[in-house]
Formats: sequence, C-alpha cells, structure tokens
Amino acid sequence: MPKMNLSHFEAALLFSLFTSVVMGVVTKRTDSERLQYGAYVFVCFLAALFGLGWLMRLGHG
Amino acid sequence: MAKEKEEKPRQPLPPLSAWVPAVALGWLIPGGGHLLLKRTGRGVLLLASVTGMFVCGLMMRGAMFQPQSGDLLTTIINTGGFIGDICSGILYLLSVWLGYNQPDMAGHVHDYGTKFLVTAGLLNVLAMVDVFEIAVGRKE
Repeated sequence: MPKMNLSHFEAALLFSLFTSVVMGVVTKRTDSERLQYGAYVFVCFLAALFGLGWLMRLGHG
Repeated sequence: MAKEKEEKPRQPLPPLSAWVPAVALGWLIPGGGHLLLKRTGRGVLLLASVTGMFVCGLMMRGAMFQPQSGDLLTTIINTGGFIGDICSGILYLLSVWLGYNQPDMAGHVHDYGTKFLVTAGLLNVLAMVDVFEIAVGRKE
C-alpha cells in the first residue's frame, strides 16, 4: 500500500471532510437539513483549524 | 414550579430481530445497515467516508491499539483505542488478518494515521446508532 505523506493542514482538512460527511448523514431528518448541517460542521472544523492555528502562531511569537 | 419539558413515555424496545441484523451488518460493513434498510444513498456515503478514513489511516501508517493494563491513563487510552479500532468491523479484521502491524512511531503523519483509524471506528458507531434508530422506527 502506498504511503501517504500529508502536512498538518492537509491531514486536518481530510479529517474534517470525512467527519462532516458522516455527521451530516447521521443527524437531522431531511436531505436538505443533512446537507446544511454537514456543510456547517465542515465550516466549523475549518474555523477551528485556522483559529487555533493563528492562536498558536501568535502565542508562540 | 411547573415542568417546562413534558416527559415523553418511553417506547418499548422492538424485538431483537427487528434491529440486531441491521446493526450487526452496520458494524461489519460500514453503511451496510443503511443499505439493508434501503437507505442506499446514505449507506454509500457512510461506506465511502468510513472506508476512506480507515484507508487514509493505513496509508499514513497509523498504529492499531492493543489493550494494555498498567496505570489508569494507559488502560483507558489503549483499551478505548482498541475498541475504536474494532468498531471499523471488516476493515479492522481484514487489515489484521492481512498482517498489518505498524508499531507506534514518532511523527505527525503516523500520529494522524492512528487517529484516523480510531475515528473511522467511532464514525461507524454513529452510523450504527443511526441504523438502530431507523430500524426501531424512531427515525425515518
């Protein structure tokens, strides 16, 4: 099996994508609600990713 | 003071035969329970997501947890991780049967891989809960 070398950002992005899809599929009751919730979770992951990334950068000096 | 929330009467659990096969298939094959219950689109999405996450974990050479005893934290982390790995069903069984045995190594890629493997199992648990709710009629 080929080895995958990803940066922190790429790995976190991939993680967010898979998790958002599953969270969207298993929650809510209609397809449009699922789509909206999946997109919302993905955006939340991205916001946390960039927010914490900048926080660490600013905190580190 | 009046209660703001009305307590709903608890519904009796349907017979095991109504939900155990779907939940068991959902564990063995991610998304399989949804496919059995004719939720094809959602089943395929779950199959693709959980399998994708597990395969990415393997390609990042993540480590599989083994239950270990010792101090409390070691026990919780390793046993919890092992349960998470096992929840991936056939993906875990196949990778172990085919000899995947990656030792825990330093490095962010391996570390992400280990987390991907465990999270794939945990996402499958969410899918199994969803299958249970569909099978017992609590959800469409």
